[in-house]
Amino acid sequence: MENMLPNTSDGSVDGDHDSRREFLKHLLSGTATATVLMVFGPGVSKVSASHNQPRQGYNIQTEHEFAYVIDVNRCIGCGNCVRACARENAVPPGVFRTWVERYVVTNDGHVYVESPDGGREGFEEINAELRKAAKFSLTVPKMCNQCMDPPCVQVCPVGARFRTPEGFILVDNDHCLGCAYCVQACPYGATFINPVKKVSDKCTWCYHRVKKGKLPACVTVCPNKARLFGDLKDPESEVTKIFKEDKWMILKPAMDTVPYCFYVGLPREVI
Amino acid sequence: MINSSPRSHLYRLGILLAVFFVVAAVARQWATPASWNYRDWYRTDALRDTELLPLAYGGNESCNGCHEKAGQTMRAREHKGLSCESCHGALADHVRADKKFAAAKVDPSRGQCLNCHAEDINKPRGFPLFSKEGAIGKFVPKHKESSETGRCLKCHDPHDPKT
Repeated sequence: MENMLPNTSDGSVDGDHDSRREFLKHLLSGTATATVLMVFGPGVSKVSASHNQPRQGYNIQTEHEFAYVIDVNRCIGCGNCVRACARENAVPPGVFRTWVERYVVTNDGHVYVESPDGGREGFEEINAELRKAAKFSLTVPKMCNQCMDPPCVQVCPVGARFRTPEGFILVDNDHCLGCAYCVQACPYGATFINPVKKVSDKCTWCYHRVKKGKLPACVTVCPNKARLFGDLKDPESEVTKIFKEDKWMILKPAMDTVPYCFYVGLPREVI
Repeated sequence: MINSSPRSHLYRLGILLAVFFVVAAVARQWATPASWNYRDWYRTDALRDTELLPLAYGGNESCNGCHEKAGQTMRAREHKGLSCESCHGALADHVRADKKFAAAKVDPSRGQCLNCHAEDINKPRGFPLFSKEGAIGKFVPKHKESSETGRCLKCHDPHDPKT
């Protein structure tokens, strides 16, 4: 490369061909090296070794594969989960790690969605006019989908958002800058900036509870078993049975985030 | 100045670059947390920090130690799937260091029973619902008279509701 410099600066004709040939040689070898590195390089071994890399489909080769199942046909919209989550994780009022939405779909195709205070205090009676026009109505709990390929982890500039070996997406409170890239990146709207801590916050599937052998707080208090949590590697767990039945759905499959939050009985109106 | 080498500008640039790299290396060392996982790009200690967060909810197994009788009734009857804490509040607001420090009172602000059992079209089929004019009210004549909320408990025991 260095013998090119005088040629370009002083415009001497001497060795012009040589340097051009030299340049093309370098270019070619560089391209070849880059191609070889991209195809066979260290990146390839990283895909199979690292749990932060995207994989195709479920059933990953790890010791645990935690999953969450929400059966919308069992949800009664009582708001126990929202209150328990707020208490367990000290979630300030006005922001939610989990919340419940009530959908009312009318016969003429209109969809009404509401989530007053995240469904924390339950829902008011649907007004008589809407009730008359309604085709069906149901309550849908929402939360972090703990994706296998999480956009929020991808965009975090400092590595404060990460995926643990067991599949929990966590926030490192001490490392987070509060830039809110993750808030924008999450297709499920499950991330927010904690108004007290001023850092990114979201559902952790109660990592601190699960690590001690307990269920997440929302699952603990759900009165109608609308929320289930378990390990897909445990053949006896309820989530494994539902997972194997293949009747589950995921939110926003087109986003290709491969979420571990499975929904049962989700009508197409729910987004 | 006169005796300076014709390449002194290059030397200066070189020194500047060297200083830059040293400063960058030091800054990087200083800014990277000690337990940094370079492969998956996170602070490994954050796992422990998150794990050590205090629990608020104990689950029914933690209630049974002291309230065995209520637990037995609950497990035998219709409300067997319910968590004690869904009505009585979190364990951490009731017990601290294995000692009761506050009563586990039921919060009546949401109409207690009606928080779950108020009739509406969003409720799942087969779930027992109550409304003055609705399904249950029709079948149980007494319900027509008990129009005020909060009167359910006059007949129903929440631990053994089918009475």
